[in-house]
Amino acid sequence: MSKSGSPVQGQKTETRQPQFVESPLCRFDDLEDGHSRGFDPLSEGRDTMFIVRQGDVLYGWRNNCPHYENARMAWKKNEFLNGDRSRIVCGAHGALFDIASGQCVLGPCLGQSLTPVPLTILDGQVFLEEPYSPGLRPRPGRHHP
Amino acid sequence: MRIIGPDELVFGVDDLNACRTFLVDYGLDEENWEDGKGGTFVALDNTAITVRARDDSSLPKPLPSGSTLRQTIYGVEDASVLDEIEAELSTDREVTRDGNGAIALVDDVDMALKFQVTRRIDLDLEAELINSPGAAPLRGVNKIGALQDAPAKPRTLSHIVYFTPDMTKHEAFYVERLKFVVTDRFTNVGPFLRPQACKDHHTLFMLATPPYMQGLEHLAFHMQGPTDLMLAGSRLVQKGYESFWGPGRHKFGSNWFWYFNCPLMTHFEYDADMDIHDDDWAPREIDVSAEASQLFLFENVEKWFPGAGPKD
Repeated sequence: MSKSGSPVQGQKTETRQPQFVESPLCRFDDLEDGHSRGFDPLSEGRDTMFIVRQGDVLYGWRNNCPHYENARMAWKKNEFLNGDRSRIVCGAHGALFDIASGQCVLGPCLGQSLTPVPLTILDGQVFLEEPYSPGLRPRPGRHHP
Repeated sequence: MRIIGPDELVFGVDDLNACRTFLVDYGLDEENWEDGKGGTFVALDNTAITVRARDDSSLPKPLPSGSTLRQTIYGVEDASVLDEIEAELSTDREVTRDGNGAIALVDDVDMALKFQVTRRIDLDLEAELINSPGAAPLRGVNKIGALQDAPAKPRTLSHIVYFTPDMTKHEAFYVERLKFVVTDRFTNVGPFLRPQACKDHHTLFMLATPPYMQGLEHLAFHMQGPTDLMLAGSRLVQKGYESFWGPGRHKFGSNWFWYFNCPLMTHFEYDADMDIHDDDWAPREIDVSAEASQLFLFENVEKWFPGAGPKD
């Protein structure tokens, strides 16, 4: 994997810039076919992205429903899909999204799309392909971008 | 018009079993349940949430937006109020009566409503009791305030918030036809409303949205006080549910809040300690903003203790 983007800053320096994440998110085989799983690549304390596995294909999306800024989507840890697991669903207000394209097909963000998270699989491990931006709001008193 | 507030909300959902688990985890009691069909879950005063399968033919038709909310059921003081509502609304829409005398209709933006003599029972419970310097102790000597295993049950269905496609028309329906009172208003968003047989700051709030968003933004149940709210919300987090906003305290209404995502695909809020008003209250109005909407906001984190205990 090529290393691009800003290196991870020291512990005491908080950055809102995209950061390169060197370690894998998980093993490919850890992802259950047809299911979703949330991830917190920057250890912010909450899942800021999720992956849906369909057969040999993985779809990575930011955990951010476009109908509100910073709207987290799971209704429970790792639960990003509707009842029959045919769509991504937002547990906030039920918006349905095409799993492969991220397009909203019904509900509060019709016409909008999820933000993709490009993934790379190397030696059975799943990596972020690009530098990754923080997903949660900064703490009060910290720098806002 | 002596409408009390929401008695029951009826949903059509995809995953009945997940909803059943959530509603019990939220703190409601299961009143009835039938596998594959759904059931009803009640707060301490018998106000309720009912879940049915999305394709259940007994439900009012769904909104085009796909919202899971299928009917809002209001409680009124007595049967004469139902006659009054029927007389008012049957002039320009179909109003049907069921065998129990409840009346069903749609409001001016196609939200399905029902009115019934309230199913709620009177509660005789303690408020959260605090001790405050300079004031007489409320909890009293040798009474414990922090109880890890306190039941922290939702007491009563407090309020609902609609995404509404036509604010002017929707507000007019509740104010002019059902005699709701505007308590406060976010100028660029919508009004806080209370019906006449209720003093709570709001049982209904509206957010102006495009038609494809129409539905239920959230519902809330009142808790005993902020401590029960924090305790119940912490338990939901421990069970893996997704905290959406809170805990915090709103400015308009003064109620503490904590909102969660859930498998009913709307937000379930715990609220506590809401202001009450009467007709002497003069409504405030302000543009909504993060600053205007909350006094403060917190985020739940893992419990820890500074400097003691074994290191991981």
